[in-house]
Amino acid sequence: MSPFWIVIRQLAEIEAMALSKKVITREEWEKKLNDVKIRKEDMNKLVMNFLVTEGYVDAAEKFRMESGTEQIADIDLATITDRMAVKKAVQCGNVEDAIEKVNDLNPEILDTNPQLFFHLQQQRLIELIRNGKVEEALEFAQEELAPRGEENQSFLEELERTVALLAFEDVSNCPVGDLLDISQRLKTASEVNAAILTSQSHEKDPKLPSLLKMLVWAQNQLDEKAAYPRINNLSTATLEDPAV
Amino acid sequence: MPTTTGTGTGTGTSTTGILHRLASDDQDVKLKALRELKNQIIGNRTKKLSFLKLGAVPAVAAILADAVSADDVINDNNYDNKNNDHNYSVNKNIIVQSAAVLGSFACGFDAGVQAVLEAGAFPNLSRLLSNLDDKVVGAGARSLKMIYQSKFAPKYDFLEEKNVEFLLSLLNNGNENVNGLGASIITHSCKTSLEQKILFDAGVLKKLTSLLKGSLSQRDASLESLATIFKNNPEVVLKFVGPDSGRALGSIIELVKDRFIRTRLLASSCLIVIRNTSPCYLQDVGIKAKLINTLLELLDDPGQIGEEASFAFSSLITQKEDMQKLAFELNAIDKLYNHLQKGSLHPRRFEGILLALADMCSKLECCRARFLSLQVLNLVIDALAHESADVRTAACICLRSVSRSIKNLSAGYFMNETVVIPLVQLLNDPSTSVQVAALGAISNIVVDLTTRRSTFIRCGGVKQLVQLSKSMDATIRLNALWALRNLMFLAENKCKEGVFSELTAPLLASLICDPESFVQEQALALVRNLIDGCIDSVEYMFAEDGVIFDAVGRQLQSASKAEIGIQGMYVLSNVATGKEFHKEAVINQLLPHADNGTQSCIIKFLQSNDSRLRTAAVWAIVNLTCSSPGAFSRRVKLRDTGIVSQMKEMVNDPCLDVKLRVRTALGQFTTFEDGSI
Repeated sequence: MSPFWIVIRQLAEIEAMALSKKVITREEWEKKLNDVKIRKEDMNKLVMNFLVTEGYVDAAEKFRMESGTEQIADIDLATITDRMAVKKAVQCGNVEDAIEKVNDLNPEILDTNPQLFFHLQQQRLIELIRNGKVEEALEFAQEELAPRGEENQSFLEELERTVALLAFEDVSNCPVGDLLDISQRLKTASEVNAAILTSQSHEKDPKLPSLLKMLVWAQNQLDEKAAYPRINNLSTATLEDPAV
Repeated sequence: MPTTTGTGTGTGTSTTGILHRLASDDQDVKLKALRELKNQIIGNRTKKLSFLKLGAVPAVAAILADAVSADDVINDNNYDNKNNDHNYSVNKNIIVQSAAVLGSFACGFDAGVQAVLEAGAFPNLSRLLSNLDDKVVGAGARSLKMIYQSKFAPKYDFLEEKNVEFLLSLLNNGNENVNGLGASIITHSCKTSLEQKILFDAGVLKKLTSLLKGSLSQRDASLESLATIFKNNPEVVLKFVGPDSGRALGSIIELVKDRFIRTRLLASSCLIVIRNTSPCYLQDVGIKAKLINTLLELLDDPGQIGEEASFAFSSLITQKEDMQKLAFELNAIDKLYNHLQKGSLHPRRFEGILLALADMCSKLECCRARFLSLQVLNLVIDALAHESADVRTAACICLRSVSRSIKNLSAGYFMNETVVIPLVQLLNDPSTSVQVAALGAISNIVVDLTTRRSTFIRCGGVKQLVQLSKSMDATIRLNALWALRNLMFLAENKCKEGVFSELTAPLLASLICDPESFVQEQALALVRNLIDGCIDSVEYMFAEDGVIFDAVGRQLQSASKAEIGIQGMYVLSNVATGKEFHKEAVINQLLPHADNGTQSCIIKFLQSNDSRLRTAAVWAIVNLTCSSPGAFSRRVKLRDTGIVSQMKEMVNDPCLDVKLRVRTALGQFTTFEDGSI
C-alpha cells in the first residue's frame, strides 16, 4: 500500500472516531428533563389555545371551568360557535348559507378578501355541478364567476379548471376530478375558518402542532450528535431507550 | 336547508325584486331584502355597479335615516320593555343591515363612496357611533371606516378642537372597529405638519403607541396612523424616538418580524418613513438588512401585500446608495427578477417590481451589470408594450436607470432596434406620463459613443422628438429637447445636419425664448452641443439672419436663473472658437454699446455666487482672447469694460476650475501687454 493510501485510511479512522455518538442514559435524560420547569398555567393556555382555535366550544368551556384558564386573546366563546357553523356549512356543501353567515359575522371579510370570496363561489359552482344542475351551474359561472376571472388571471385559470368538470361523463375519473373530492370542501372550509380567525385578531393556527413539529425537528438534529431516550410515539410521548 | 331565497344567480328580475321589497311597508320584508342585497354585493364589484345604477344607494340611505329616527323615538318613549319588543329588535337589525350595505358599497369602490356621500348617509352613520348597542356601533364604525379609506371621503378638520377630542374618544373606545375608524381618519386626513403637530400635542401618538400592544387589527391601524403622523416631520419623529419613546420604536422593530404579513409590511413601512424623515435614525446595519430581507420575502405573497411590498422596497432604497449596495449584496436583483420571470403578473405588481429594479440600478454599476447578465432587459422591453400605462411608464424608467451604465452605452448595447423601435413608438403614447418616461430613457440611450445613432434616426426617432418639442405640455417639450440635446452630444456632422434640418432655426429660436425657463435651458444646451466640435457647425448659429444667435443674446441679457446663463455662456464660448467674424459677433453681443448704460452681462456673471456660471463666463473670455488676428482689438475692448480688473480679483477663487481658467485668461492678456511695451 502506498503511503498516500495509508494516510487516507488513517484520516478516515480519525473521522469515524469523531463521529461516534455520545450516549445519554435514561436516568441522565430524565434528570435533565426534570430540571426544566414549565408552569402549569402555560400548559393550560396551550391546551385552551388549541381548543379555541380548532373550535371545540364545549370542551373549551369545560376546560375553562375545570382549569380556571381565562379565555385567550379576548375571544368570545360565542364567536367560536358562529365560526364553527360557517365551517360546518361549507363542509356539508351549503356554501350559500356559509357566505350569508360570514357576512352576518363581519361584512368586511369577503369584501376585502377577493381570493377567499372567489374560492367560496367556486365551491358553490362545484356543488351545483355535483348535484347535476348543469344549466344553473353554467348560468352561475357566467354571472358570478366570469367577472372575477376578468379581474384576476389566476382566478380565470381556476374557473376554467372547474368548468371543465362539465365536459366529462365520468367525473370521478377525470383530470379535474379532485375538485369534487371532500378534500376540496375541507380546503375551502379551513380557508374561511382562517379568515374569520384573522378578522377576530386571533392566530389562524393553534400553537400545539407547531410545537410538536419543533420537537420532531429538534430530535432529528440531536440524532446526529447523540443517542438518547427518544419520543417516537407523539400521542403517548413515552421515552424509548436509546439503541446503542 | 335554511335558504329560502332562491338560487341567487342574480338575474334582472331578482335584482329589481330586491329593490321593490326594500320599499315595502312591512319591516320584516324590508329587513330580509336588505340582508339579501348585502349578500349579493359583498365581494362583487359588478353587482355593486349594477345596483348602484338602479339607485339602491339612496334607497338604503333613506331606510337608514328612517330607522335611526325610529330608534330615537323608541328610546324616548318605550324604554322599559324595549328589549322584548319585536319592532324594536327588527328596527335595530334594519340599522345594522343598512349600515353594512352602505359600507359594502363604499368598500374599495369609489363610485360607491360618492353615491353614499351624495345620498347624505354620512351624518346618520356617524350618529350610530353613540348608540347604546355595541352591534350598531360596530356596524356604523365599519362603514365609516370604508368611506375614510377612499380619497373621496370628506376631509376631517383637526384644527377644530372638538374634532380632535372626538378622534381621541374613538381611539380610546373599547370597540376595535371604532379604533380602526379613528386610525383611518388620521391616515386619510392628516397631511400638513401643523396637523401632525396638533395630533402629537393632543396625545394621539401616546394612544397609538399603546394600541401597538393591542390586538391584530389595533396594531395594524396604529402602525398605519403612526407612519402618517411621522411623514416628513422630523420634529415629531424626534419626540417619538427620543428618550421616553425608545421603547415604542423597539416594539415597531419587533413587529417587522410579526407572524402576520400585513403587520410586517406596515411595521416596515413605518420604519422606512422614520428613516426617510430623519436619516439619523435606524442606521444600524442589522435593521437595514432586516428591512430589505423582510420586504423581499413579502414579495412572495400572491395578494395585495406582495404588490405593496415592492413599492415599500423602492421607498427604502431610492436615492440611497448604501441601501442599494446592501440590497445588492442580499441578492435583491435576482429575487426581483425571479418574480418578473413568472409572467402574467397583475399590473400593479409588475409596475412595482420594475420600479424597484429601476431604483436598484439608478446609481450602482454592479447592479446594472447583474441586471444585464440576468437578461432582465428582454422582459423589460416586452413590458414597453404592456396594456397598462403604469407598467409601460415603469418599464421606461427602468430602462433609463440601466442605460446610465457608461460602459454599456459605450459598447452600443442599447442602441439597437429591439430597444429603440418600441421606445420610439411610445413617443406617440396617449398617456403623457408614458411619453415623458420614454423620453427619459431615450435621452440616455442616444448618448451613444459609437457611431450607431443612425439606428435611432432610421427608426424615425428624430422626427418624433422634434414633433414633441412643439407639444403644448411643457414637461414634454423639456424632455424632448433633453433627448435631442443628448443625441447631439459629440455627434458626427451628418447626424447634426439631419437634426437641424428637421428642427429648423426659427423653431430653435422660439424654444430658446420659451415661456418656461427649464425649457429655455434645455434649448440652449441643445444649441451648445449642436455647434460643439467642428468649426463648420458654428454656422448653424447664423442661419436665417442669425435668429438663434439673437435669441441667445436676448436670454443672456435677461437671464432669470444661473442655469440659463451657464448654458448661454457655453453657447457663446463655442461660437468664439469659430472664425474671426464669429468671434466679433460674440464680443458685440457681450459688450453692448456704451450708450444704453446697462452693465455688461459678462461682468454680472463673473461676480455670480454660482461657480459654474463664473467658469462658463471665463471660458468665453479665454476663447475670445486666445491668439488670432483680431485678438488684440478684442482684448482692448474687454479691458475697457473692466473685465481684466474684475478677473484680477478672482485669481484666488475658491473654485479651482475658475481659478485655473482665470489665470489662463489673464495670461493671454499679459502676453498682449508684454507685446505692447
